[in-house]
Amino acid sequence: MNAISLQQDLLEAAVTALPPDELSAVREAAVSRFAANGFPTTKHEDWKYTNLSAAAALSNSWLQDKSAQNEAQAVAIDTEIPEQIDAHWITIINGIVDPNSLSNLDSLIDNGITISRLAEGVAEGSIALDDPMSAFNAALLQDGLHITVADDSTLDKPIGLLIIDDGSVAVTQVRILIEVGENAKLRVIECPLSGGDGKQFANSVTQVALSDGAKLDFVRLQQRQKEHWNVNRFSARLERESVLNYNNFDFGGGLARNDIVADIVGTGASVQIHGLYLAAGRQHIDNHTRVDHRVGPAKSTEEYRGILNGRARCVFNGKAIVHAGADGTDASQSNHNLLLSDQAEIDTKPELEIYADDVKCSHGATVGQLDKSALFYLRSRGLDKDQAIQALTRAFASAILSKLAIDECHEYLASALDRQLDALIDEE
Amino acid sequence: MNMLEIKNLKAGIGDTEILTGLSLSVKPGEVHAIMGPNGSGKSTLALVIAGHEDYEVYEGTVEFFGKNLLDLEPEERAREGIFLGFQYPVEIPGVNNAYLLKAAVNAKRKYEGLGEVDAFEFLKIARETMAMLDMDPSFLKRGVNEGFSGGEKKRNEILQMAVLKPRLAILDETDSGLDIDALKAVANGINALRHPERSMVLVTHYQRMLDYVEPDFVHVLSQGKIVRSGDKSLALQLEERGYDWVRQAANA
Repeated sequence: MNAISLQQDLLEAAVTALPPDELSAVREAAVSRFAANGFPTTKHEDWKYTNLSAAAALSNSWLQDKSAQNEAQAVAIDTEIPEQIDAHWITIINGIVDPNSLSNLDSLIDNGITISRLAEGVAEGSIALDDPMSAFNAALLQDGLHITVADDSTLDKPIGLLIIDDGSVAVTQVRILIEVGENAKLRVIECPLSGGDGKQFANSVTQVALSDGAKLDFVRLQQRQKEHWNVNRFSARLERESVLNYNNFDFGGGLARNDIVADIVGTGASVQIHGLYLAAGRQHIDNHTRVDHRVGPAKSTEEYRGILNGRARCVFNGKAIVHAGADGTDASQSNHNLLLSDQAEIDTKPELEIYADDVKCSHGATVGQLDKSALFYLRSRGLDKDQAIQALTRAFASAILSKLAIDECHEYLASALDRQLDALIDEE
Repeated sequence: MNMLEIKNLKAGIGDTEILTGLSLSVKPGEVHAIMGPNGSGKSTLALVIAGHEDYEVYEGTVEFFGKNLLDLEPEERAREGIFLGFQYPVEIPGVNNAYLLKAAVNAKRKYEGLGEVDAFEFLKIARETMAMLDMDPSFLKRGVNEGFSGGEKKRNEILQMAVLKPRLAILDETDSGLDIDALKAVANGINALRHPERSMVLVTHYQRMLDYVEPDFVHVLSQGKIVRSGDKSLALQLEERGYDWVRQAANA
């Protein structure tokens, strides 16, 4: 496939056509930044295996045919998640925050938590344009959330983000800013869903700043439909003694690309990243992670696991960079994959770059098939083949499920995992 | 009707024929010991009866209560009431013992048209059986055979057998690698399950297991077929005279 790029003239026209609001300046700055690079293509090392041509083509036709203005419409969708997971839920539809869901949370100010819409204003320079897709996100940004937690504050329940693209808009941008104050704690569950069929492209960015001693537990559970493409960037900056516990579960989406970036700038900080991806059919899931150890001692642990069937194609690229002087760094990363089909493919590359002397680093990757002797053992006890495969794949996945950062979503995630594994095995 | 009827069984892996025309009949309630030197085909016989897909059957028949066993999947054979005690029980981290036991019991009950097992009753039976086998109840929560010692793995096989109550148990070298205490515990477990409707085939290299579990018949396997059958005294003769004696007899 030839690389299709996003047409800059269409983007500029669409941005100009948007009514002026609090984010006008952000958009204008981003448009010119985006022009420098456009969409990344497979010629870029970081995008070697993930082709955004289809997403660019969809974006072009959408910018041409329609106003880029998004609306939050009332949608009836998977409301069972908020019922099953006890959290303070906020709904974002087509990139626009549902004001009703937000008004319920005004009282959280008593707990030191403020939540505001980006549409109501944003401090200058707070919207990061770190990479081309962040710039594209900002160029069309019309809303988003800014969550702050005051020093020493905590919240009884997690904040839940129900992020729904309902299908009425082909391309959506979501931007979430999170700041956690000194020795404060926050937990966030993010659930991106599809509210309609057909081709859709969601491009989201989450920016996190953790002050000294702050702690953030973040769980992302992506369960979108098979024609929904996702590009998602999560970047966090960690000050002294702060803790980031990030979980990424990709169960759906035709294409899912995640860039998880942690920047350790304070000693004693700790980063844990655990991810699980299940891919079947022609699904394409690409996880890129990067942890910068700029100072030491500090610790990062990372493990991704994947189960692939059909003609699924997955990518893992985990990079830990230990900068000069970051002595006392302890960094480990691993990626394990289970291939249930001859035609599934994984490209995995854990990487370490070390410029300091006193460090403890490890990395590893495995790709394997189901253990035939274990399969026979289970069948010889009367379990049918699918049930035996379910038990073995579940066991493989449970290594990640056991690292779940937020208890409140365990039950929901466990049953979603079982459902998804059943569907994945059936496909055989 | 015989429970198990094997006639002229020829089987192996790929082009390598391991069983070269083996016949065996087992009636309900009988305990048969199959002995033989390494490489004589003992484990192959056990795995072919259980339905391991690595083995190919070239010729002959295997019937279980008149039903052609070779047409059935391994799980169907299990639900019909055949249990294989593995020589090398597989470690399955992440799948816990209690899950496996319960799933196995329920698979069989479903096949028999019964509802799922009562969880309380199931736990009670599992705990009682574990006490008999001198197993710690915490084993239920651990991954299947994960980090178990050799003796613990074999006890776990007997536990599964006791909970599943098969009609035919084939125990492949269940005695190997056991110290005397473990051997006694395992033998107790086997003896407790002897029943006029339940048969057992003990595959073993050594006679010592048979001091504790007394067989009705002893067969000697050599080069893929049974070359001599007798009562339990045959096992003692073998112990005295060694396998060369039967090999010579077979070649004569």
